Amino acid sequence: MAPERDDHEDILLAPIERTGPGFYWAVAFLSLLILWGAAAYAVQFTEGLGVTGLHQPVAWGFYVTNFVFFIGISHAGTLISAILRLSKAEWRRPITRMAEVITCMVIFIGAGQILVDLGRPDRMMNVLRHGRYQSPLLWDATSISAYLTASLTYLYLPMIPDIAILRDRLGKRKLLYSVLALGWTGTAYQQKVLNRAIAIMAVLVIPIAISVHSVVSFVFSMTLQPSWHSTIFGPYFVVGAIFSGIAGLIVTMIIFRKAYGLDYYLKPIHFRYLGQLLLIMSLLWFYFTFAEYLTGYYGAEPEEMKVFWSKFTGPFWPFFWAMVLCNFVVPLSCLTRLQRHTVGKVLIASICIIIGMWLERFIIVVPTLSFPRLPFPQGVYAPTWVEWGETAGSLGLFALFYLLFTKFFPIVSIWEIREGREHSLKEVEQRIASYLPGDAGEKV
Amino acid sequence: MAQPPPVSDRLVRTLQWLWLGWAFLLVGGVIIWIVGLILASWRLDDVVQASVGISLVAIPIFIVFMGVVFYVFWGVALHGRKREN
Repeated sequence: MAPERDDHEDILLAPIERTGPGFYWAVAFLSLLILWGAAAYAVQFTEGLGVTGLHQPVAWGFYVTNFVFFIGISHAGTLISAILRLSKAEWRRPITRMAEVITCMVIFIGAGQILVDLGRPDRMMNVLRHGRYQSPLLWDATSISAYLTASLTYLYLPMIPDIAILRDRLGKRKLLYSVLALGWTGTAYQQKVLNRAIAIMAVLVIPIAISVHSVVSFVFSMTLQPSWHSTIFGPYFVVGAIFSGIAGLIVTMIIFRKAYGLDYYLKPIHFRYLGQLLLIMSLLWFYFTFAEYLTGYYGAEPEEMKVFWSKFTGPFWPFFWAMVLCNFVVPLSCLTRLQRHTVGKVLIASICIIIGMWLERFIIVVPTLSFPRLPFPQGVYAPTWVEWGETAGSLGLFALFYLLFTKFFPIVSIWEIREGREHSLKEVEQRIASYLPGDAGEKV
Repeated sequence: MAQPPPVSDRLVRTLQWLWLGWAFLLVGGVIIWIVGLILASWRLDDVVQASVGISLVAIPIFIVFMGVVFYVFWGVALHGRKREN
């Protein structure tokens, strides 16, 4: 039996069927950012890394900061979606697709930062041909490849029924949708196969996602550099990644809710739940930050203290305290009461967190290199227009990829919403009955 | 409104097989790359245990990905359609 069609589904298909002037304006603006990035990269490619602010001893600056930041944002999608799916959180249904797309888009941008940082991208071939698995950099390459593969698979599988809807209802891109739909007709057997595959991927993707950001942290913590050599860097990075990931997801949701009129699907209750999650992550982030800095301070190792004071009162103090403000003070004040003005408060907190988490990555990467343990002179890092251009271009590229995706596929999962409407009410009722004391649970 | 021309079923099937082949090529390429690194460390006597240890985790994960993709292709595109018929 064909599932009942919801009239509001047209809202989800509208961006694919029609293109308004807003889309072209957005593409034009993002293209300008990308052009700036391309020009910056062209200059860097021909002149060398000397045109950037990178030098000895500060050899890692914006690019590595962006790499860690973007890989962190990628945790928005697959990981959060998998956790919500496995925990049968029913409110996930309009959110998961948006989250999964963020991961797939941003992970390309994140990994690309390393190519940009190399100066000579052809040297990437050395890693491929002569890589050594003793190096955490190669652990990164492997785990990011696994995460990208898993994320693409995990994005594609739940899209199959929706692609079949597009194949049957839309008059354009018939060939593309027919190929990608894999002959989906919605039979019980096909649904069973798909549900099983999604469940396997959801289980697999969680440890892989956690391993990715742990391994990213190992690039720093496996060295003996002050403020990097820390045993809690793995979980600290994972918490930061999920934190910034949720913030990124919320901002994306709010933008597309406004642009595509998705109020019917993305309700204040979704933002309230995500806001509560964000508050918990903010507290966790503060706990890890406090533990990390207190341990360093208490040890009072001279090299460590140079870096420590450079962040608290030295040249990096504006970034450090702005980070604390953005990641802890603002979220705490915005997210503790979410009964009124929910969307606005959650948006302010999320934007602050995205800025704060970028600053956190910067604060981790640059100060340690500015005060080297080896007898190099101290260095000051000042990014040039090339690094700013690359950063703007990367953000533009991510936003453009995301925007283009929404012109080809529905950004909210149509079949999962239908499934929720048709089956979940009864299923949730049965599940609650099974939790309650008595015989009711035995029947389920 | 003019209807778009119907899509050839044969062409769709061929492109679906190519789509599956591309996925296998991608994952297979990563596995071949990892095996190549093990062989290089073996040849250079360069802490082979590290390469083998990491590969023991990484390679099965990629094989499981391939398995899941093939399972869906088999279940949805091949077997699912047969059952429907």
